[in-house]
Amino acid sequence: MAHTKDIVYGLYNDEEDLLRAVKKANEDHLEIMDVYTPFPVHGLDPLIGLSESRLHIAGFIYGAIGTLTAFGGMSWIFTRDWPQIFGGKPHWPVPAFIPITFELTVLFASIGMVVTFYVINGLGPGVVNPTIDLRITDDKFCIAFDKSEVNAGKAESFLRSSGASEVHSKTI
Amino acid sequence: MTYDLTSKTRITLIAGMLVGLLCLAFVWMGDDSFHTRFWGNILHNATFFTGIGLMAAFFMSVSITAWAGWYVAFKRVWEAMSLFLIVGCVLILILGLATFFDLHHLYHWNMEGIAEVGNPNYDRIIAGKAGFLNKGVYLIGSMVLMAIWTFIVIRIRALSIAEEKHGSLNDFSYHYSMRKYAAAFLPLAGFGSAFVVWQWIMSIDAHWYSTMFAWYTGASWFVSMIALTIMILLFLKSQGFYQNVSVEHFHDLGKFLFAFSIFWTYVWFSQYMLIWYANVGEETIYFRERVDNYPALFWINILINFIAPFFILMRNDTKRKMGSLGFVAGLVLVGHWIDFFLMIRPGIRHTAHEALGHGHGHGDAHGGHGHEAAHDVAHGAGHGAHEAAHEVAHHASGLPFELGFTFPGILEFGTFIGFLCLFLYFVLNRVASASLSSDTDPYIQESIHHHT
Amino acid sequence: MSAHISDIREPLINGHKSYHDITEDLVSPTERAPGFGWTVGFILSLTMLAFGLFCIAWTVWHGIGTWNLNRTIGWGWDITNFVWWIGIGHAGTLISAILLLFRQKWRTGVNRAAEAMTIFAVICAALFPGIHVGRAWVVFYFFPYPNTRGPLWPNFNSPLLWDLFAISTYFTVSLLFWYTGLVPDFATVRDRAKGLRRKIYNFLSFGWTGSAKHWQRWESLSLILAGIATPLVLSVHTIVSFDFATSVIPGWHTTIFPPYFVAGAIFSGFAMVLTLMIVTRKLLGLEDYITIAHVESMNKVIVVTGTIVGVAYLTELFIAWYSGYVYEQFAFFNRAVGPYWWSYFGMMFCNVISPQIFWSRKMRRNIAVTFFVSIVINIGMWFERFVIIATTLARDYVPSSWSYYSPTWVEMGIFIGTMGLFMTLYLLFTRVAPVVAIAEVKSILKTAGDQYTGPNKLHHGHGHDDHHSVPAGHGHDSHRGDHLKVVSSNVAAASMAETHEADSSVATTKNDLTKIEGIGPKVAGLLNDANIYSFNQLADTPVSRLSEILAAAGPRYKMQVPESWPEQAGLARDGKWDELEDLQDRLDGGKYV
Repeated sequence: MAHTKDIVYGLYNDEEDLLRAVKKANEDHLEIMDVYTPFPVHGLDPLIGLSESRLHIAGFIYGAIGTLTAFGGMSWIFTRDWPQIFGGKPHWPVPAFIPITFELTVLFASIGMVVTFYVINGLGPGVVNPTIDLRITDDKFCIAFDKSEVNAGKAESFLRSSGASEVHSKTI
Repeated sequence: MTYDLTSKTRITLIAGMLVGLLCLAFVWMGDDSFHTRFWGNILHNATFFTGIGLMAAFFMSVSITAWAGWYVAFKRVWEAMSLFLIVGCVLILILGLATFFDLHHLYHWNMEGIAEVGNPNYDRIIAGKAGFLNKGVYLIGSMVLMAIWTFIVIRIRALSIAEEKHGSLNDFSYHYSMRKYAAAFLPLAGFGSAFVVWQWIMSIDAHWYSTMFAWYTGASWFVSMIALTIMILLFLKSQGFYQNVSVEHFHDLGKFLFAFSIFWTYVWFSQYMLIWYANVGEETIYFRERVDNYPALFWINILINFIAPFFILMRNDTKRKMGSLGFVAGLVLVGHWIDFFLMIRPGIRHTAHEALGHGHGHGDAHGGHGHEAAHDVAHGAGHGAHEAAHEVAHHASGLPFELGFTFPGILEFGTFIGFLCLFLYFVLNRVASASLSSDTDPYIQESIHHHT
Repeated sequence: MSAHISDIREPLINGHKSYHDITEDLVSPTERAPGFGWTVGFILSLTMLAFGLFCIAWTVWHGIGTWNLNRTIGWGWDITNFVWWIGIGHAGTLISAILLLFRQKWRTGVNRAAEAMTIFAVICAALFPGIHVGRAWVVFYFFPYPNTRGPLWPNFNSPLLWDLFAISTYFTVSLLFWYTGLVPDFATVRDRAKGLRRKIYNFLSFGWTGSAKHWQRWESLSLILAGIATPLVLSVHTIVSFDFATSVIPGWHTTIFPPYFVAGAIFSGFAMVLTLMIVTRKLLGLEDYITIAHVESMNKVIVVTGTIVGVAYLTELFIAWYSGYVYEQFAFFNRAVGPYWWSYFGMMFCNVISPQIFWSRKMRRNIAVTFFVSIVINIGMWFERFVIIATTLARDYVPSSWSYYSPTWVEMGIFIGTMGLFMTLYLLFTRVAPVVAIAEVKSILKTAGDQYTGPNKLHHGHGHDDHHSVPAGHGHDSHRGDHLKVVSSNVAAASMAETHEADSSVATTKNDLTKIEGIGPKVAGLLNDANIYSFNQLADTPVSRLSEILAAAGPRYKMQVPESWPEQAGLARDGKWDELEDLQDRLDGGKYV
């Protein structure tokens, strides 16, 4: 990371404590930097203002590209580039093109979406992200505040009062 | 909470049934001497709606055995729909008796002397199937299966009512008994549905065969059942009932409508593509006939039953909006009814045509279509040539446009409305006969708080 | 996820786990040195693989003539094995995709391993056509690419080419799906590791942090991939079936092949999942995560798909007669009573008859029986492919070219080699990655774990009150349903948790009271609320007291008759499980008859 952040974070022992704390933070108008959890917590996204993922739209576009590539490619090859007759089928045997068209639609959509997913999340082989707390991937639920965005003292007292089992400061 | 079948609804539905009867009467009057169009309408609608009842029972049984909980809030609707098998018994009995006593000529294999060597009607291929395609198996086989299915459906319903009256949330005994019946129903429906589809529908094109056909028809019934479930629930909701059936339940039903529309297409494509690809004359004739002489219906079938639900229901929000969901449900219900039309009418038309031809002597009924020549050749030659000539005469040349056969006419749609109203009247009546949801079903809380 | 879970459901996670326990249980197998069983298995697998590689080399060097294929029997063990392996692969995607869409929670226990199986099985399968083409070194000719031969393109009309696309796509998508699911779990392993191991797992985990936005996209991605993997999995075996059904070979050209192949694939895939998971859960001690309830669910799928396959077999047989097409009739006659009758009989017996045993609940829940039947089905599904391929080809239209096919040692060796490859990869997988999806199991813990008998029952300790008026800590550590261990309280939390240290229940042993006939999870919760946690305590509680507890809980529980509970608990306390079972057989819902 080019620049570091000073953060203060609290660890909760249960996702319901976390959800309550996040609600309380919203009421107190404390801007949360990020929330980290060991598994996807339901009902959290709207609370921290995450809009619905648009990955499926990207997937649809990738899939459509796959459809066009496959169907267009095969049509071009069999009618323009090198027309041949196999087994008495017409030059443009639409039913015979459907299986490959389907497969490439799925292939393009999947690869496209997975690559998009890693790119927009800034994840990938060799990426090293700063670790806030090792137990986040185990059983702790973390709310982190950026000290440059919120008053550190206020954030800390919020964390303590909202049921965090631990409160720490760190530079990441 | 109990649904009350208001007199307004009652009158509307009865009026719909009368429209159906009236249409049937008109069809009867303007019909050929075998009343083929009339019986065709009966066969078409009776099998379509009985199958919907069967699929409701099937899906309910699947859900019970698979520990599904989400549907329980509206399980009474599926129970009521599955009880339509009782009416189905009557409808199939009428069809079976009519077949038994030769009141119609829907089935080529039911022609007199078809399996008798030396008879002018003798058909070697059909004679080979006579052990399966005959009046007795048709009537008794269908009725035995219908009776078994109906028995199980009635038992499941009775247990469900008893659970509500005498059970408690912690008493799973009724549910366990239901599970036993449901599990038994699955193989009975699995094997039995193939039997009835072969008998009722595939045997119309008596020479033709496709191993996929039973599952194809089953998929069509299934989608129609989901569509009708959505429509009945929307109606009941609009009447102020089923407040606990939320958008989440509709979302799931929408997913099923979407997924099984794709499944239907998959089965349709697989059957079509394999027959197209292998290009065996005995098999391709089925599609050749439909593509050449019924092109509009052939493509409408794909358009309504695949393209429309696929593109409309692909998004999540359209499954959650009652307008778009209801629209697609109505569309595919009609779409699969048309699918059945396309399965049934071309075959019965040819059978009747041939029967009339034989009944009235050559050339009387169909002058000028090149049939006489084919028939004469056929009769002069051996059996092999006879069949071949029949194929030529009856499929390749194409019969002229005829409302009710080539395309559903206003009277067909009227009959459809009549049967639909009969179905709805019966189902809503059954829905009204018990409370709308059971507080003692083990899954009721899960269902009410269902979240997709 | 609905917090309202019916009491009728069996828990899918046993042993009163906390989130930390799950991490501990599922990651530790990758941290331990391999055990004896693993080592023996691995050496055996490697040996098989080495022999297989030798046979492949032999084939490539000497040519396909080393196999017993001939002019009529162009496909023998090679394609039989290919279809068999592809079929086995299907359960992985099915469990991850279709069961995800159907919200069957039991999939979380087995999806990871099943997906891994898919990938390994597809690798094994893909080997066969690759070798069978003869000149394996130019196998890339399959792919359409601009070349110097014209360019001459492959035949897009050929189902064999469709198959190439289907299998490449299936492999790629399964790999992406599986790996994306693994990323957060690799992060869990990473955060427990040190040194080089940590570096490796950091690389594997792609720098995963657990950020909410990442989770949101991750879930969205999983759902969409599941959505498109569902038709994909159908398409793959469908296209495999097209290899046969588009032809005009009697016995092959039949329209039911696509869905029937898919059902068969699911069937064989589940059988293989059962075979592997029964061994895995034992070796890695995962009985709490892959429970009897999981086994039972999979056995239900087995009996359903086995019966579907049965419907398809009978449909084929019936329509062969019905068609009036003599060649088709002969093909089936030949299968059933021809020289290969044994494989037809094996197919019918193993695939249709043997799974019917699972109509009995007792059998569905019996591990030994399940293991045995799962192997029988694996064999039966191999027979099915052999029947379809070799039996049919051995007697074609021209009787003068009829012959009897049996494999050479090379063909058998390659098959053994693929089994070695499959097992080698699977065993390596159990060492490197958590075999059960950690994050997914955690996310269902509260709804499907055995200690949660209602909306966060034990977590909140007292009733269903979701509203906490005292926000400070409230001692959640000691309340996390983990009454067996004293949870290592964090230093900073200690002061906040102290109010609850006095909670008397924490230190007592806690038994699974639902073992007692008549006690469901709800009632067990009631008893826990009344400070009855162990069999010992229950055995010492008078029946009148139990009736009081039930009466106090409201009218719902008035059906319960606790008269036999103390006696049952006594037997359970003394470990007399057989006697308890006998007693329970005589009881009716916990009542004396």
